[in-house]
Amino acid sequence: MKIDNSLPLEYSTEENRLKILGFWIFLGAEIMLFGTLFASYFTLVDRTAGGPTGAEIFEITPVLIETIVLLTSSFTIGLGIHAMRLGKQKAMMIFFGITLLLGLGFLSVEIYEFIHYVHIGAGLQTSAFTSILLTTLGTHGAHVTLGLFWGLFIMLQIKKRGLTPETANKSFIFSLYWHFLDVVWIFIFSFVYLKGMM
Amino acid sequence: MKELFPAKQVMGFVFSLILTAVALIVYFMDMSFAAGMTILLVTAFIQAGLQLVVFMHAGETEDKGAIYTNIYYGVAMALITILGTLLCMIWGYI
Repeated sequence: MKIDNSLPLEYSTEENRLKILGFWIFLGAEIMLFGTLFASYFTLVDRTAGGPTGAEIFEITPVLIETIVLLTSSFTIGLGIHAMRLGKQKAMMIFFGITLLLGLGFLSVEIYEFIHYVHIGAGLQTSAFTSILLTTLGTHGAHVTLGLFWGLFIMLQIKKRGLTPETANKSFIFSLYWHFLDVVWIFIFSFVYLKGMM
Repeated sequence: MKELFPAKQVMGFVFSLILTAVALIVYFMDMSFAAGMTILLVTAFIQAGLQLVVFMHAGETEDKGAIYTNIYYGVAMALITILGTLLCMIWGYI
């Protein structure tokens, strides 16, 4: 294994560099996944079948909390990767911990939101609009849930093995995933919620 | 402590908060659908680009070309899918 010390730890072997490239290609496929969900959402958004419309069920407060929390978590994981590159494992673990707690906060608000929707009669089977709304939000929420466990396991692994080219590579790839979830949320925030409440 | 908060990332975070605030204008002010959508499209795509470049370090290795090509391709396909769907399912019938 050839180790290039001029590059950050997570890129230090060719295999690691290619793993990062591979993950970017996966993110390209994820863009398409959410692209098809948005296409379906924009098609079905007015098919409310006598049920509630977006303007009737969306509330700005929980949406704003979710947005700020996820945006901040994207910032803190960026700081975590920066700390990792400085070789500061403890600071990195703190930033990763904050990120995951913020992710948990986001998920709690989203679960509250879903319960609220079902409670006011906007469940998965109410109309084409509520189905695609909950499917789109749910797909993003499922990604965040997966990310929480992924991040937790990576933190445990770093605690056990320390910062090696391998664990640094995994952490960097996880950070890409987490930033990507924030990018998707920006589009949900803009084109599902704000557009719906405009 | 200061070295843990690089200026580039702090600025990126502040800028994304500002963009979120700008996007909120469409909620708090009365405006036409076209004006609102323009604001949202501009703020959302700038913010997405900000994440890719500042936080995801998309352009820092020799794979830069492959990474950007892949992302542009993904975004182009997503836009074609979304606009094409709108064209044949919604716009064509108005």
